[in-house]
Amino acid sequence: MNAARENILTRVRTALRSESRHPPPATDASVFPPVLNSEVRFKEEFVALTGEVVQNLGQFLKGFTRIATDGNPLVQELVGAGNAGIRDADLGVTGCDCLVAQTGSVIVSTHSAGDRALSVLPPTHLIIAHRSQIVPDLDAAIMWLRERYRGHWPSALSLITGPSRTADIEKILVMGAHGPKRIAVYFVD
Amino acid sequence: MRVALFIPCFVDQLFPNVAIAMTKVLSRLNLDMYYPPEQTCCGQPAFNTGYWDEARSLAKRYCEIFADADAIICPSGSCTAMVRNFYPELLGREELCTSKTYEFSEFLVRKLRVTDVGAQFPARVTYHDACHALRELRLKDEPRQLLRNVRGLELVEMDQAETCCGFGGTFSVKFPMISGAMDDAKVAAIEKTKAQYVVSSDSSCLMQIDGYLRRQNLPIKTISLAEVLAAT
Amino acid sequence: MTTGTLTRFKLDAATKAADLHHRAVIQRNITTYDVAVARGKARFSDWSNARSRAAAIKWEAINHLDRYLEQFECNVLANGGCVCWAETAADARDYILGLAKRHGVQKIVKSKSMTTEEIHLNQTLEGEGIRVIETDLGEYICQLRGEPPYHIVTPVMHLTKADIARTFQEKLGTPLTESAEELTMIARARLRHEFMAADMGITGANFAVADTGMVAITENEGNARLSFSLPRVHVAVVGIEKLIPRLEDLALLWPLLSTSGTGQAVTVYNSLVGGPRQSPETLGPEEFHVVLLDNGRTRLLADVEQRDALHCIRCGACLNICPVYRNIGGHAYGTTYQGPIGSVITPHLRDERDWSHLPYASSLCGACTDVCPVRIDLHHHLLHNRRNAVQHKFDSTGQSLLFRAWLWTMQSPPRYAVAGKAARLALRLGIAQKFLRPWTANRELPKAPAQSFKDYWRRHERGS
Repeated sequence: MNAARENILTRVRTALRSESRHPPPATDASVFPPVLNSEVRFKEEFVALTGEVVQNLGQFLKGFTRIATDGNPLVQELVGAGNAGIRDADLGVTGCDCLVAQTGSVIVSTHSAGDRALSVLPPTHLIIAHRSQIVPDLDAAIMWLRERYRGHWPSALSLITGPSRTADIEKILVMGAHGPKRIAVYFVD
Repeated sequence: MRVALFIPCFVDQLFPNVAIAMTKVLSRLNLDMYYPPEQTCCGQPAFNTGYWDEARSLAKRYCEIFADADAIICPSGSCTAMVRNFYPELLGREELCTSKTYEFSEFLVRKLRVTDVGAQFPARVTYHDACHALRELRLKDEPRQLLRNVRGLELVEMDQAETCCGFGGTFSVKFPMISGAMDDAKVAAIEKTKAQYVVSSDSSCLMQIDGYLRRQNLPIKTISLAEVLAAT
Repeated sequence: MTTGTLTRFKLDAATKAADLHHRAVIQRNITTYDVAVARGKARFSDWSNARSRAAAIKWEAINHLDRYLEQFECNVLANGGCVCWAETAADARDYILGLAKRHGVQKIVKSKSMTTEEIHLNQTLEGEGIRVIETDLGEYICQLRGEPPYHIVTPVMHLTKADIARTFQEKLGTPLTESAEELTMIARARLRHEFMAADMGITGANFAVADTGMVAITENEGNARLSFSLPRVHVAVVGIEKLIPRLEDLALLWPLLSTSGTGQAVTVYNSLVGGPRQSPETLGPEEFHVVLLDNGRTRLLADVEQRDALHCIRCGACLNICPVYRNIGGHAYGTTYQGPIGSVITPHLRDERDWSHLPYASSLCGACTDVCPVRIDLHHHLLHNRRNAVQHKFDSTGQSLLFRAWLWTMQSPPRYAVAGKAARLALRLGIAQKFLRPWTANRELPKAPAQSFKDYWRRHERGS
């Protein structure tokens, strides 16, 4: 395979000795309108995606019988260790890295939200977070991740934006294709 | 200003009235025109089919013939695009004549800043955006501005005015079924407007649309932008 | 240009172009898409600027590809992953098959990946007795039907609910239903079992981030996440053109891809996978392999005119806007990548002679170039491919002679005048109709004018 590596890199280098006929487009003007109030915007976007902002955690948890949780201290404190494994839980509860106002998204990782499957296998996913974890946009979210991990990356991260969905059949929107049909967030403060 | 007329080969041979109409409008604007009689074809059919050497020899011819013109006016967006956008790549350099070649409506609106040519054409019309005028020359509003100032003319937009009619030169002969389906969709959009006329900057698109309209015995007529603007 | 691929293309394209049901299904699907995309673009302060910035990111990556490939590899290795450099489709297949054998893999779940379609991975694995299950809903339906994906983003764009219900009834024995939701739930339940029992997960990648050594995977359903979360081994098959320099680039590329692909602000799941599971993870792959695939991409890289075709992020926008695609659909192309981008890159990635007809199957309307979110000069590259085909003598002798005769005519005003007069006479006598048969099959030719403009002008000048 090392020969293949050298062959490919040699071909790449030889190709790049001649300059592209298309010069790079020069622009650095902004692309997205600025997010003014992150908390308001996050909730608007999240709800528009059919996400639920939980007001009463106890009430919400009563709707589930088999709960799986991650090792996140915030989750352990509020929900406990859970009573089910990932594969048969009807609710997965996790923490998160940060929340993105611009798109109503939540970033989970193997550091912040436990095993990779916990936020995708159970039919409902509840995220527990502090309001201070909301960042304005994707630029800020990536900056947040850089500072948090400083090169020691979790093995997997996901930017989650609403419940699992598909529109493969006649472009008709169906929720819960493979992942959660419901997604909810509870802010502790 | 002394302007040269560049009349593409198929306009010259098949649609002379389009070119005549254009000269009428230009003379109404008191422009001094001349027509270099040595001109034939800009080379686009060869260029688009991949015969760049053949096209190049006609490009050189064009540049010699039109070398002295202040401005070169053409009643076709497609042939104008060939000269202005593709000659530099074909010849490997910019020639003076390439940047001075204008499509007719472009010349009126952008260069002369004329949007009312005193025309009268009492009819309901819809405008088909010819692909090369629209996407190579970025002419979208220019022809419409001119049409809106024609007395008695009612301009209605069709669905997907920007979608290709399916002509594409040799494409329509090489792949007649695809071209025909595109033509069919275009004509359906035109019919929906209940317009009496379809107008466009390019006679090739109009030939494609007209051929289909006539075969289907539909009462809608095609007419070039130049002919509408020449009508009084 | 008399190869079998051309004959089949002409036949399939003609059949689909005449199929009004097909046209209506595609039209309905794309109309829904158009509305969503318009809404999606409105979220940007300046879509045109976004395209330029995205093009600049991809330009940087592609024009320094050696540097970014090495950086990416170095980071993947540091994260505990493995990298395979595959020069050809066969090299990639062999590597994955060897891996599967080494791990005693019996069942593989796959998430949607056009790159694995390109290398015909499933056939190889299945030939060795390994079960491969496509888990993206659209791809799952394709697999059940034994069809290739119809569209690089929307694999079953050409099917109605009723078509899919019939496929499920036939292949899975489920009752007929007219509900897209019920059909989705049937697939969900079936595939859940497959995920639980799979030994290996294979995904593609939308981007490969050089400065962190992670692959970025965009999806809506969650099947890609399950594919890299549950099985013991995760393999990501990545074309070398997928490299991007920095993680920060995704703040633009994720929304840009979603907007052009489906009209969403961002898709539901945008994941980054950086390696195998780390302590204290209890689930997740023990091994992570990235297959970096060349398979002709360096040939395209060496083409300074068309290098920007490697910017493609496979959003499908050029297919959706293309009036040819809208009329003939995805299968007629006979290629992995359909539509304008497919007609640009296929002659480079595969045998040029076999696919030299595709660049001609375009009216050169340029709508593709206008929608491309990374500003690939698509319709001009179709022209470049046509020129290449002529240079490489893939044109027919008849056509070549025709253009030589045409040039001879056009170089001389008298010859041109005679030819024009003859053409008008042929029109008047009704001979032209036969000559231009394909065109006149469903159209009337214009009426021949009495004189050319040149004749008119000569008289007019003399008169005035």
